[in-house]
Amino acid sequence: MNTNLLIGIVALTALAQEARSELKWEQTSVDLKPALGDKQAVAHFKYENVGNTPIHFESVHASCGCTTAQTQNEQVAPGQKGEITATFNIGGRTGTQVKTVTVRTDDPNPAHSTTVLTLKAVITPLLEIQPTLVYWQNGEEPKPKIITAKANKDAAIKKLDVVSSVPDFTAKVDAGSAPNEFKISVQPRDTTKAVYATLTIKPDSPANTGNTFAVAARVMPPAPTSGTAITPSTKATVSTVRHDLVTPAPTAASPRQ
Amino acid sequence: MKVSAIRQALLLIALAFVPAIGEAIYFRDRVSWRSPDRSSEMVNLDQAQSWGANAIWVDARPDNEFEQGHVPGAIPLNEDRWNELLPTLLAQWSLEKKIVVYCSSQSCNASREVARRLRDEAGLKEVFVLQGGWETWLKSKR
Repeated sequence: MNTNLLIGIVALTALAQEARSELKWEQTSVDLKPALGDKQAVAHFKYENVGNTPIHFESVHASCGCTTAQTQNEQVAPGQKGEITATFNIGGRTGTQVKTVTVRTDDPNPAHSTTVLTLKAVITPLLEIQPTLVYWQNGEEPKPKIITAKANKDAAIKKLDVVSSVPDFTAKVDAGSAPNEFKISVQPRDTTKAVYATLTIKPDSPANTGNTFAVAARVMPPAPTSGTAITPSTKATVSTVRHDLVTPAPTAASPRQ
Repeated sequence: MKVSAIRQALLLIALAFVPAIGEAIYFRDRVSWRSPDRSSEMVNLDQAQSWGANAIWVDARPDNEFEQGHVPGAIPLNEDRWNELLPTLLAQWSLEKKIVVYCSSQSCNASREVARRLRDEAGLKEVFVLQGGWETWLKSKR
């Protein structure tokens, strides 16, 4: 009887000592609040191998091209600690952004071999602009149209400089009805010819590191009249207007099919 | 007899709640009222192609993917360089044109986000997301 008990205890002990590996994550979700004007948000996901055999990373894959993830080591020895660094490039994104990094290891236990790390970043823009396009139909009365720019309250923006890429539009900036709000009044000089302008908005703020914002103003070309025959002369006119309006894409693209 | 019937009915109701609770917990993000997609915003490839020259194709993928290949005539507009790229699209847009935004595949989210910003921030009306994205376009050309 005592012998059987002893065998049982030895067997249980042997089972407990069975080779196993397991990455224990300090946290699998990180909330970030990048400062105004930050270009990147970086999350650190710390881990430890709490097993007794080494673990190898098989893949570390970010959910979008805007996020990169790096491991410190390919292999994690028993008891070793480390971290995966996920870098989220903010670019022109705003609002709440949730990005994931999927980590796969050679852990034989399927429940532990794949871990999804989540990076959540709340991006507060320096300036919220709406709308980013104002336009007038051809021949429409050239009345001013208003673009509202709400400045982030932490940015301490005192004024906005607005510059039009062409002299066919004027832009005037006034204080808005709410604190930290500006009203940009855009007006075309003439609405009888199609014209496009980029209005570059530059906030005057200590928090701004050279960021500018672009909005567009347009006078649309005359609407094509249905049933109107296109003569060689009208065709040439349309072609010229489109050439003036269209900004070429940054890379060469084949003609649209 | 009557008490037994009531008890059985209550038991059946309670059992019906089990899968419902399970679904609410495990498929929280997939239940219809939380779905991020509005079907009216989606367009399939055949329909988008039928718009011909009245469609402006917008590629929401990162620059390097755009450079490797894109829908002919597509305009790059990704959130990495939103402020730089947006003016090119706005210069080509006109009231009668529909905008078709695509990203890599069905599972990517960039096209939805770009489409949302075009509607909300620029005030454009006819903005659609291509079902299946670039993968579907490629398959159709094989």
